[in-house]
Amino acid sequence: MKYAFLVAWREYVESTKAKGFWIGIFMMPLMLFLTIQVPILLEEKATPIRYFVLVDQSGTLAPAVDAALERTYQKQVVEALKHYAAKYSKPGRDWVAAQRATSALPQFDGDSAQSVDAFKSRGGKESFLEQLRPCLKPGAPAFKEPRRVFQAVPLPSGINPDADFALLVNDLKPYLRADKQLLVNGQPADLYVAILIPKDIESRIVRPKSQASAIKPQGLTTNYQIQYWSTDVTPAKAGYGLAHDVEQAVNAEVRRREYLARGLDSVVIHDVDRTYAPFASLNPKKEAGQEAVNETDVIRQWAPSGFVYLLWLAIFVIIQMLLNNTIEEKSNRIIEVLLSSVTPGELMMGKLFGIAAVGLTMVGAWMLALFGILSWKTGGASDFAGQLLVILKASNLVPLFSIYFLLGYLMYAAFILSIGSVCNSIKEAQSYMGVLTMVMMVPMLTMTFIPKDPNGPVARLLSWIPLYTPFTMMNRANADPPMFDLIGTFVLLVATTVLALWMCGKIFRIGILRTGQPPKIVEMMRWAVKKSQ
Amino acid sequence: MTISNIQDPTLDTVADVLRLRNVTKYYGEFKAVDDLSFTLPRGSICGFLGPNGAGKTTTIRMILEIIKPTSGAITVLGRPSALEVRQRIGYLPEEKGLYKKMKTWAVIAYFATLKGLTKKAAKLRAYELLERYGLKDFANKPTDALSKGMGQKVQMLASLAHDPEFVILDEPFSGLDPVNQQVMEEIIRDMASRNRTVLFSTHVMQHAERLCDRILLIAKGKMIFDGTIPKAKEVIPRRVRLETEDDVAPLRELPEVKSLSLQPSSNGSTHWELELAEHADPQAILQTCFARGIRLRSFNQSDPTLHEVFMRLVGPEAKEASFR
Repeated sequence: MKYAFLVAWREYVESTKAKGFWIGIFMMPLMLFLTIQVPILLEEKATPIRYFVLVDQSGTLAPAVDAALERTYQKQVVEALKHYAAKYSKPGRDWVAAQRATSALPQFDGDSAQSVDAFKSRGGKESFLEQLRPCLKPGAPAFKEPRRVFQAVPLPSGINPDADFALLVNDLKPYLRADKQLLVNGQPADLYVAILIPKDIESRIVRPKSQASAIKPQGLTTNYQIQYWSTDVTPAKAGYGLAHDVEQAVNAEVRRREYLARGLDSVVIHDVDRTYAPFASLNPKKEAGQEAVNETDVIRQWAPSGFVYLLWLAIFVIIQMLLNNTIEEKSNRIIEVLLSSVTPGELMMGKLFGIAAVGLTMVGAWMLALFGILSWKTGGASDFAGQLLVILKASNLVPLFSIYFLLGYLMYAAFILSIGSVCNSIKEAQSYMGVLTMVMMVPMLTMTFIPKDPNGPVARLLSWIPLYTPFTMMNRANADPPMFDLIGTFVLLVATTVLALWMCGKIFRIGILRTGQPPKIVEMMRWAVKKSQ
Repeated sequence: MTISNIQDPTLDTVADVLRLRNVTKYYGEFKAVDDLSFTLPRGSICGFLGPNGAGKTTTIRMILEIIKPTSGAITVLGRPSALEVRQRIGYLPEEKGLYKKMKTWAVIAYFATLKGLTKKAAKLRAYELLERYGLKDFANKPTDALSKGMGQKVQMLASLAHDPEFVILDEPFSGLDPVNQQVMEEIIRDMASRNRTVLFSTHVMQHAERLCDRILLIAKGKMIFDGTIPKAKEVIPRRVRLETEDDVAPLRELPEVKSLSLQPSSNGSTHWELELAEHADPQAILQTCFARGIRLRSFNQSDPTLHEVFMRLVGPEAKEASFR
């Protein structure tokens, strides 16, 4: 046992010195940090100001578009105010006060014309900040308004706004393609978008059941539609961004006029649109009075998937390390010296547990980083990080993760040590690893499906396949799987792991001294089941 | 467990360090080692010779209990299992390798700890050895910074770091420059002088000739010869080489001369080679030459080299093996 420990100690010390280990250690926290931070940073810093020209030859829709864009911006201001209040309010009573002030901010849902107006009529941003001031932490920075990402600019000089679209587009194209630049406040800038509204848009409006308008002329030579010109095709297709806002704004205005034209009261229609029957999602497993499904429940449902991913990643990184170390000893023929000092069994145990210790160190560092980053990023129990933290502390996700990591690693390590013992180079190991990786892909593919039906037939079937037990049971961890599944699959997993390691021991003993072509899998199986000499 | 790495071998009462009795090893149908028996006395240097594929490495692996013999018995330092006495055995395998990313001292120290030294003692010993053999500057460098020869030297040091009583060296000289071959020879002699036992395999007969008290020659898994070098040389007749313009016919009739043949010399001319009968005195040839008036340009009497012995004993088999 002493010798196995010496082997394990070397594996541990040398592996933790390797670059791969540190990449492994930092990868997870870095990814977690980046997924939280990068979108925020990009939003704040990387999005450039987008300049656009709006040419409204009809002369009737431009104000509606302007107003809509202003409302979009005001929404962002309100969101920023909420965030600011949550982040910089003093904890305790003041924090509650700040929360109350925040709740006074308009809730934007559906048509927001009224709520923005209401916000403005209550004094807007200045009034809110005034209320908030006594609740702020000392040293809180002043509120910074979000930038206006979309800014309207006049047409470049020399372009006739009343020209036919074909001419107009021809003149604008060099700007849109960034061959020419605009001058904004004396600074050169790219034109991001040109929005063209034709003169006779009124007569082009498409109405259901109206045959005449439904016949669309071909090509763009005729000015029958509102045209959104941009080299950036994403926002136009994705249903958000400027194209979406403009389309919404125009159609809202068109519909408002339609109501008027047909003698309907648009205010009534708006109210009708906002009429609803109350609806609640409830979960019978929750405590009485708290059954309402909320955001926390959603996070609880999906958090295990995150752990499955970590589990997969950890096992994959670690077994790769084990493979490299085994093949190094084999290809460098260090194995002979080792085997003159230790038995193959001691060597195998040493490697197995040395790398297990490396894996536990890595996973431990991940857990620390996870809790660390979440605690640091959270602004209280209300945001995502805070809720996740509460769930992690309350559930048994972390202990289950550790157990399934260890068992999963030991089981897969048996395969890896068998492969490593018969291969003289990583290249030779590739073909075996290809099969193993394919086997290991299954839990990745089902990772997002299982939380939707955590106790369904697919989830149960996969749970009872020992190769997938760690991943699948981890995936089901928050869905209260039946005790039978929990204990039964665990026992089966332990038994399979022991059997796999025992067979691996026999393959390892024969394979480790072999040179030349690696054997077929069938031959390895024969070694595994045959009686030792 | 306390293991004194420098156990006094004189305390051990077992005279024979190694004893093989009727050892046979099959790999499937192939008989790699065929009924091998020999013993090694303490303090001896023994050359383990044989052509490629003769079964040397297999025998060594069986001695070290890396693999088990199909039949027969092996006793190492008086024990039936080499693993029982692993702290007292050192091994340098034929194919040399080191952990590439590990520091040089750490590799030596690691192997020494596997042989029972404490971590601290192993580290001290590693630095001491590296300094003694001129590799001090590489102590803290990873082993992939070493040249092939240096790497081999480091591995040699690693296999000796625990000062073993019995050392098995598989091809210790291959890949070393002449200076380091000399160093290696000194290391081996030094061990023998301290009553350590050395078994080494080699293809270079000069090393064996210079170092060994005793040689074991195997081919196709079978023992061909086991004995001292002088005894080995008796296997082939002694020879006399002479250069002359005169007729050598009178020499043919001498009872000392078994055969006589004209051989080309390296300088373009020719010489006569005389194979002598067993226990024949070359002086008799010389006297006959004077008596019969054969004028000699040169007269050379030489012992056969171990190389010649090797070629004589296993040459045909080795050739056959390589063309099989």
